[in-house]
Amino acid sequence: MTPAWFIQSLLNGLSIGSVYAVFALGYTLVFSILGIINFAHGAVFTLGAYLTYALAVGSFGLNGLLAGVSLPFTLPFFPALLLGGFLAGLAGMAVERLAFRPLRRRGADALLALVSSLGVALILVNLIQYLAGAEIYAFPADVFGGLPPAVIFRVAGKPVAVRTAQIILFAVSLIMLAGLMWAISRTRAGKALRAVAENTDTAALLGINVNLFILGTFFLSGVLGGMAGTLIGTSYGISGPYFGVAYGLKGLAVIVLGGLGSIPGAVLGGLVIGLGEAFLPADMSSWKEAVPFVLLFAVLLIRPQGLLGERMEQKV
Amino acid sequence: MDVFFSSYGFLLAMVVQQALLGLSVYYPLLAGQLSLASIGFYSLGGYVAAIMGTHPALAALRESLGFWMFPLEWLCALVLSIILGLAVGLPVLRLRGIYLALATIAFAQVVNVTVLNMPIAGGAVGIFAIPQAFDSRLAYLFFFGPLLVLALAVAFRLERIGPGRVILSIREDELAAAAMGVPTTYYKVLPFVWGCALAGVTGAMSAPFLNTWNARQGTFDASVACLAYVLIGGARSPWGPVFGAALLVSLPEVLRPLRDSRMILNGVVLVLACVYLPRGIVGAFSSLSRRMRGVKEAAS
Repeated sequence: MTPAWFIQSLLNGLSIGSVYAVFALGYTLVFSILGIINFAHGAVFTLGAYLTYALAVGSFGLNGLLAGVSLPFTLPFFPALLLGGFLAGLAGMAVERLAFRPLRRRGADALLALVSSLGVALILVNLIQYLAGAEIYAFPADVFGGLPPAVIFRVAGKPVAVRTAQIILFAVSLIMLAGLMWAISRTRAGKALRAVAENTDTAALLGINVNLFILGTFFLSGVLGGMAGTLIGTSYGISGPYFGVAYGLKGLAVIVLGGLGSIPGAVLGGLVIGLGEAFLPADMSSWKEAVPFVLLFAVLLIRPQGLLGERMEQKV
Repeated sequence: MDVFFSSYGFLLAMVVQQALLGLSVYYPLLAGQLSLASIGFYSLGGYVAAIMGTHPALAALRESLGFWMFPLEWLCALVLSIILGLAVGLPVLRLRGIYLALATIAFAQVVNVTVLNMPIAGGAVGIFAIPQAFDSRLAYLFFFGPLLVLALAVAFRLERIGPGRVILSIREDELAAAAMGVPTTYYKVLPFVWGCALAGVTGAMSAPFLNTWNARQGTFDASVACLAYVLIGGARSPWGPVFGAALLVSLPEVLRPLRDSRMILNGVVLVLACVYLPRGIVGAFSSLSRRMRGVKEAAS
């Protein structure tokens, strides 16, 4: 374990872990309000990546209905990221209207929301495949404009390379996390959101439009998911319409690790899993995909409420 | 009729096979426990059969046992599933609700990565050219059919006998059951392990049926499909998973003329079924027949 390897792994882990945190917060927001996990979140993540790609690059691959179509305009990366996130937020609202609100109105079993959200995920993913094909999309190397591809410095004589994409991942994630925490703890709307999360009936009695806040939560969750998808897509490429499934499951590990419904917990969980993956020795790299789930399993057995979660009292 | 069976034989056997997986999710649900671990046991059972059916070290054993090799594979998968089911179930079933579902999702993922890393399981390519038990796909109903009858019989019988009623009481109210002196952990582990065993044996029967076996058998999508059979078919009757599997397995075939867009419609059907058939196909039928009977009684 050389110091250079340590610094390199630490930077890699922080960069990917911060994106996990952003993505997982999308789950956390919905869970804290409805007590339900939105299984369409992984599909919104994928959709966000494709939307930003379309806006930034302006043309599509060789398969699918949109083959050969090109947009009349293209945007620089950052406006494309924001617009892609906004559109993914709208998709999040569509998920709420299609999969959650009809069931809530009928007072249906919570398990059904699991299947209906997966149904919406199936629709989204296959719609992407239908339109954009099943091929790999990689953002062009000059997507960030004139920035150099990587920053290289030396630690104890050994080189450490940080890719520009990783720095952008980390910076954008930090800004989003800080903005979200500020909005929830300091603004009037954030206060109302916390009231809805505490108790929907009481919040409604106090004059808060509960359905509007639920819709808004799904919008925020979609923005977080879509932008996380874009960030991962710029760094590692978009491996096809099913690109979000693995991250969707990883995000579940993140929120359970930190504690379901806890916002600082999701951030901590994301960083722990990102660092856990990064510090895995190179000869065990084929086990990398198991790291989040082994951690999830272990934490459920030792501390079921998660690292920062509160123990839920059982009510009769 | 011959044409029907030759072209749809595979589909028919597939429906029964998927119904078995649906039932393996149904059993833990009897005690109110949502487990998505079935697919992990299905995958493991399949690997047991695939390795026993193809590994060169076992050639002599296969030679001497002949057809009896298949029941031996089921037995090995059964024993492995029960041991592993107990090992996973005992700690995990202390968890409740969504935590249990998440822990079992994690279990299935760990199984997937583990088999991908085991040289004996053939890595990402998997194991192929697994010896066949029958010439035709339809004949595999001789494997799956009796198992389905057994699984259904156990499910129906459970509703009548003491232990089964205890299990159902946990679904209705776990706290009240515990207060009545029911050892809830024991009665939660029982249907869970039975579901695991069923999934494991189904996997062992499926490896020859599908001819190849790889890690794609144990994906998250597949485990969700099993849950969908139960919820779309109806979670309150053992017939639910059977009807659910029949509908959802044949749906992509029925929609085949639509080609690329058929999976989109598959998702639409899932969403619509959740909204309009909250108690599943069986639930909708039973309330319909109750209403018709009510009309008849009112008329007489």
